[in-house]
Amino acid sequence: MTTKRTYEEINAKIKRGEAVVVTAEEVISMVEEKGVKKATEEIDVVTTGTFGPMCSSGVIINFGHSDPPIRMQKVWLNDVEAYAGLAAVDVYLGATQLSESQGMEYGGAHVIEDLISEKKIKLKAMSYGTDCYPRREIESYITKESINQAILFNPRNCYQNYNVAVNTSDKKIYTYMGILLPNMGNANYCTSGQLSPLLNDSKFITIGIGTRIFLGGAQGYIVWEGTQFSPQEIKDEDGWVIYKGGTLAVIGNLKEMSTDYIRAAIFKGYGVSLVVGIGIPIPILNSEIMKYVTVKDEDIYTEIIDYSYPRLKKPSLGWVNYKQLREGKITIQGKDVPTSPLSSYAKAREIAQKLKEEILRGNFLLQEPIQRFPQESKFKPLLEIH
Amino acid sequence: MLRKKVILTFPPKIVEKPVTYQLIKEFGLWINILRAKIEPSTGGKLVIEIKGEESQVEKGLKFVREMEVGVDFLEQEVMWDKDRCTDCGVCISICPTGALSLDKETFKLQFNYEECVVCGYCVDACPLQAIKVTF
Repeated sequence: MTTKRTYEEINAKIKRGEAVVVTAEEVISMVEEKGVKKATEEIDVVTTGTFGPMCSSGVIINFGHSDPPIRMQKVWLNDVEAYAGLAAVDVYLGATQLSESQGMEYGGAHVIEDLISEKKIKLKAMSYGTDCYPRREIESYITKESINQAILFNPRNCYQNYNVAVNTSDKKIYTYMGILLPNMGNANYCTSGQLSPLLNDSKFITIGIGTRIFLGGAQGYIVWEGTQFSPQEIKDEDGWVIYKGGTLAVIGNLKEMSTDYIRAAIFKGYGVSLVVGIGIPIPILNSEIMKYVTVKDEDIYTEIIDYSYPRLKKPSLGWVNYKQLREGKITIQGKDVPTSPLSSYAKAREIAQKLKEEILRGNFLLQEPIQRFPQESKFKPLLEIH
Repeated sequence: MLRKKVILTFPPKIVEKPVTYQLIKEFGLWINILRAKIEPSTGGKLVIEIKGEESQVEKGLKFVREMEVGVDFLEQEVMWDKDRCTDCGVCISICPTGALSLDKETFKLQFNYEECVVCGYCVDACPLQAIKVTF
């Protein structure tokens, strides 16, 4: 008989402190040892983790009203502009927005990190003034405690898989994949591979709208499929299925988050980004899901892309798996190229472990998705229409 | 034989003295210049690797200190902020000498100062700004 479990059964076991929880790394050797059937019987939840730069991130802030009140039209936090085209004192501060005084040295992501660290943030707002909101400008300081809400809302995080960046030109280039040395001097990649959430539930069976997740050290939720969501299954020449293109839109209370799992980052010559830690628990509802969570680095392939070509469609230089990438050196067109991850495997492991401990303590219950993601989705380019 | 990476800080007044020559000629030391940035008006720094008998290295360094040249060991000038570092490893492939690596078991960053030549590539590459050099 094949094992089947419901979310209710798993949550009841978590509450009784009887759930068996392992990380996506630990499950690999357990299944190799016991086989899928026995492991499915024994294991209730597998935890995943990732910790990497995720540019499409930001925070919704409500400042509260001043007296006399202002309908904020233009807003700056530590000289970083936030979007104020919302109600009077609501803004959305994007992680990649640059400081108007410091440029690339400071940005929205730094404001987010400073907010979490309880630092004082300088607020400046301007307005045109209305009968109901007569004030035209305000300068003050805010902190995490002084504001009403700080809601981290990231429209595109947690890429299922991402390509490997190299540079075949004869000069150094500065990209969102880091500094790429000339003549394929290095190769940068950015996924936690076998620990990566969306590679462990590659068909989005348990990950959907409403899934409760570990987000930046707090409990957050998946609110939608991420922007540019276009999961693809590609068969390579050896018959391996390559998954790519899945993304998540996530939300959570920034006030509860920790700088251990959310950090500001600067990519020299490119700009500012936010490093986000995400962990997703995968309920082992049946043996099919168990098979998916046993995915190993050597089974996950990604494409090597030449970032020196400054156009949308960049040339491919072949495919490589995460085991090869993690060994520190790959061979491209006969040349040995040293590799670097942009996402921290040590942190991804820490997040999967922390999520496991939270579930074992009964502090984290699993939420069944209230709606699954669309099965088909197209990623369209922007056409220039005149 | 002792091998040591040292950063010499020259005040402007002794910029014209041939200190490196004397270290080689009078103390019999092998000197490998890794980096140098010295201006006549402001002084500057010289990163060298010294190789020689331990007693000779000590005498040589005593001599440069007497010349009022500042002597610092590399670890004091290349600052790796372990709290800021998230062990991503983006610095490892850009490091020309292999001084930076990820531990095979823990995947945490290892910094082998012996191999560092203070090129500063990692300073630019680190998105968390966890590495700084005072050079």
